Amino acid sequence: MLTLLVLTPLVGAVVIALVPARRRELQLPLGMAVSVAPLGVAGAVFFSFEKGEASFQMVERMVWWEPWGISWHLGVDGISLGLVALTTLLFPLSLAASDSITHRRKAFVMAMLVLETGLIGTFLALDLVLFFVFFEVILVPMYLIIGIWGGERRVYAAVKFFIYTAFGSALLLAAIIALAVMHASQSLDGALSFDYLALLNLQISPTAQMWLFGAFALAFAIKVPLFPFHTWLPDAHVEAPTAGSVLLAGVLLKLGTYGLLRFNLTLFPEATVSLVPVLAVLAVVGIIYGAVVAIVQPDLKKLVAYSSVSHLGFVVLGIFALTSAGLQGAVIQNVNHGLTTGALFLLVGMLYDRRHTKKIADFGGLASRVPLMAGFFLFMAFASIGLPGLNGFVGEFLVLVGSFPSLPAFAVVAAFGVVLAAIYMLWAYQRVFTGPLTGAANRRLVDLSPKETAILAPLAVLVVLLGLYPGILLDRTAPSVEAILDRIEQTTDYQAPSPGRLADVFASASGEDEQ
Amino acid sequence: MSPGAFPDIVWAGLAPELVMVLGAVFLLLLDVQMKPGVGVLWRSGMAIVVAALALGIWQWMVTEPGGELAFGGMLVFDPAAAFARLVVLVVSILAMAAGRSLFAKLGNRAAEGLALVLLAAAGFVLMAASQNLVMMFLGLEMGSISLYILAGITGDGVRSDEAALKYLLLGAVASAVFIYGAALVFAGTGSLGLTAIGGFLARYLVLSPAVLLIGIGLITVGLCFKVAAAPFHVWAPDVYQGAPAGIVGYMAAVAKVGGFAALARVLLSGFGTFRADWALVVAGIAALSMLVGAVMAIISTDIRRLLAYSGVAHAGFILTGLASGAPGSPSVWFYLAVYTVQLVAAFSVISAVGGAASSGSALSDYRGLYRRSPFLAVVLSVSLLGMAGLPLTTGFVAKLGVFLQAWREDLEWLVVVALLTSAVAIYLYLRVIVTMYMQSPATDDPVEFDRPTFWALGVATAVTVILGVFPQPLLNLVESAIYL
Repeated sequence: MLTLLVLTPLVGAVVIALVPARRRELQLPLGMAVSVAPLGVAGAVFFSFEKGEASFQMVERMVWWEPWGISWHLGVDGISLGLVALTTLLFPLSLAASDSITHRRKAFVMAMLVLETGLIGTFLALDLVLFFVFFEVILVPMYLIIGIWGGERRVYAAVKFFIYTAFGSALLLAAIIALAVMHASQSLDGALSFDYLALLNLQISPTAQMWLFGAFALAFAIKVPLFPFHTWLPDAHVEAPTAGSVLLAGVLLKLGTYGLLRFNLTLFPEATVSLVPVLAVLAVVGIIYGAVVAIVQPDLKKLVAYSSVSHLGFVVLGIFALTSAGLQGAVIQNVNHGLTTGALFLLVGMLYDRRHTKKIADFGGLASRVPLMAGFFLFMAFASIGLPGLNGFVGEFLVLVGSFPSLPAFAVVAAFGVVLAAIYMLWAYQRVFTGPLTGAANRRLVDLSPKETAILAPLAVLVVLLGLYPGILLDRTAPSVEAILDRIEQTTDYQAPSPGRLADVFASASGEDEQ
Repeated sequence: MSPGAFPDIVWAGLAPELVMVLGAVFLLLLDVQMKPGVGVLWRSGMAIVVAALALGIWQWMVTEPGGELAFGGMLVFDPAAAFARLVVLVVSILAMAAGRSLFAKLGNRAAEGLALVLLAAAGFVLMAASQNLVMMFLGLEMGSISLYILAGITGDGVRSDEAALKYLLLGAVASAVFIYGAALVFAGTGSLGLTAIGGFLARYLVLSPAVLLIGIGLITVGLCFKVAAAPFHVWAPDVYQGAPAGIVGYMAAVAKVGGFAALARVLLSGFGTFRADWALVVAGIAALSMLVGAVMAIISTDIRRLLAYSGVAHAGFILTGLASGAPGSPSVWFYLAVYTVQLVAAFSVISAVGGAASSGSALSDYRGLYRRSPFLAVVLSVSLLGMAGLPLTTGFVAKLGVFLQAWREDLEWLVVVALLTSAVAIYLYLRVIVTMYMQSPATDDPVEFDRPTFWALGVATAVTVILGVFPQPLLNLVESAIYL
């Protein structure tokens, strides 16, 4: 089933390639139709997922490059489940929102579908080379999406994006090779292996763990992006077309946090424990820095982009809190951020399609002309700020609750990030949508079309659903998160602080926000 | 072999080379006698190479793992030699197919051009199969001299002449260095045969190895020159830039195959016991090549110079595999096989865009190539991404193999250098791709190319992608091409 999930978009891309170029009107609807298929499969995966199970499910394994012990090894657990579902959801929506892509539309749809295969594959791969292959392959379609269909400085942004990530993945590959060679020297038959499950049994010295952790963490920190590796992000976001921004923020950034959670914590537990302060400082700096920079942005899209730096800081803080609640919060915040920021980028894109500007100063009082759009924007802004009852609250609250026992000072500082989020989001809303209606062009704005409403509605529904009933996701992630913590506690002398494990925190936390 | 005895002749082992050399003679005679059109000559040439490839495949299948010494220990028919031959012949077929328009432009010199291509291929195959330093020198010269002529074969244009002359002069120096090294090795060990040298070094402790080490060093320098490894690469950009576009890819590819095959044979089977002495030097040359190649390629504005410098970097990657000793040789062969195909494909695109006989190809000529010819743009992109080592191309598998081997042999620092330079190098390949896809063309005229070019490029691209996803067959194939 997982292979099907990975390959459906790719097959779809081939199908699109075969559609004659003159049938332009077919390309986008066909692309959407193709991308609905993985959404269906992902739904089936989500609901057939065994809830109480910590290990990988629906595992599929085939030998791929035999002499080097590389296999096509896929599996899903609580950490990846939500992200896979999010990915498959965002693709049909962002394709639907791509009417404004007029030139080389066929190539665009194909690039999107290849991107989807890469993203799903990255989340499901359980072989490190397979993971790396998907991780790298994503770069090409994303690079094309930014570089061909982007804004004015698209080429600069695309190259910057590519170089940053390629640089990070160079060291990642070195670390992967080191692990495989280590496996060869430790196993009886001296065989190389890139299998994640096999590599978990390695005995890695603390020094080696530090180096390998560093290499993995650098690659993922660039992806997240963690301060100070974030400078590619505003450029890429601002120049990318709407669909590109949605997927960049919604899914691509999650590759970084997913990688940290999946690989760094479990493969290098010693190094994780000793490097917690470093990562936590970077995370908190990111939270505050991203928020402060977002406040002063004159460009709406850039504002949302910097808000991502801040929100992803929360995710990283949650991961390195090394408590149940923190990790749970990180996992769910990954999904939350994809929904809300995805929706905000869609809204900015819709606004841009109408007015061809993203400057906040060009707008004012739009709410009277486009009440529906203003409503969606305010709703998503609230979700992003973390208003109780909406999904953002669950994630940020869990992160803060989870990090307070282990990293109290950091939690306190990070909490200001929530306040700052309220400032930049609401101030932006105020300047764009409230006050007197200014400018002739703004007076001619038309509100959301039924199609645009239909694109945003599913996201809004999920925002509420995850806000009121986060258990639908948390129940599935809990065992995997516990397993990670168990592993860290067993392999190192780290003990989660007293109210840090599932039993003492999580029940009350999710209980509170349901009331 | 006792002195005076007639050397053992193994005609079958030499069959593909015989076909090529006799075929070259045949083409020249045919030209003199019948004055046929270029089409006939080109078809005959293709038929000869294809026949040689068929014989080569047959030889590959009958070759024993340990190899067979022949011609008085001058040549050895082992899997490594047989594999080198397959690579050279496949590259020759691709290059001749894509180079048809060049031969057409040569007019009454077409037969000479085709004959030289065949002779060069035969020379480098012999070089790869030689078990004796003198034989190696003969193979090297046979191949190199053919390439010197090919570099200037159009006979018009200062740059083409300059390229040919530069290549000749510097190549002659390199040959001299090589043969001087061989002489010193003879002085140190009393033998020119690689097996004999290896046996001597394994049996006796060399108390004052200075002469021998200088000899090994000079041989290495001579061969590094041929494969354009830094700091012996300075000729490459000028030659690649000046030589006719239709043949540059071929020149670069076969010289690399022959050079690396010889280097591997000398270092691994001749001086394998001295690995501790040469491994660090080779690793140093590898690191320098990768750095110089990547940095210089970034500041090139001519796509041929860019590919020349990228070739320097690739020489570094291949040397990385070589530095890890005998277990690294399968990865070296995989790398050579896939890189040469990408190289020929890339230069064939250049030939199609700029004209087969042209010299110099400014990067700006590639603006908006995607609109002028989507096919060529895709082919060039795939080749470049393959060179960049992006996953799902053969380049990634090749790099991974080399790096795995080097890491296992405790050359971690070299792997890290290699990975970082390849990250830098991605930028230069992207530059070309940006130019092709994201800039507007000066004209909208479609680029014309003939049918053989289409097929050669299609095959090369398909190979790069398909073997990139499913490299198993080729991995199995190179697994046996190890030096014993």
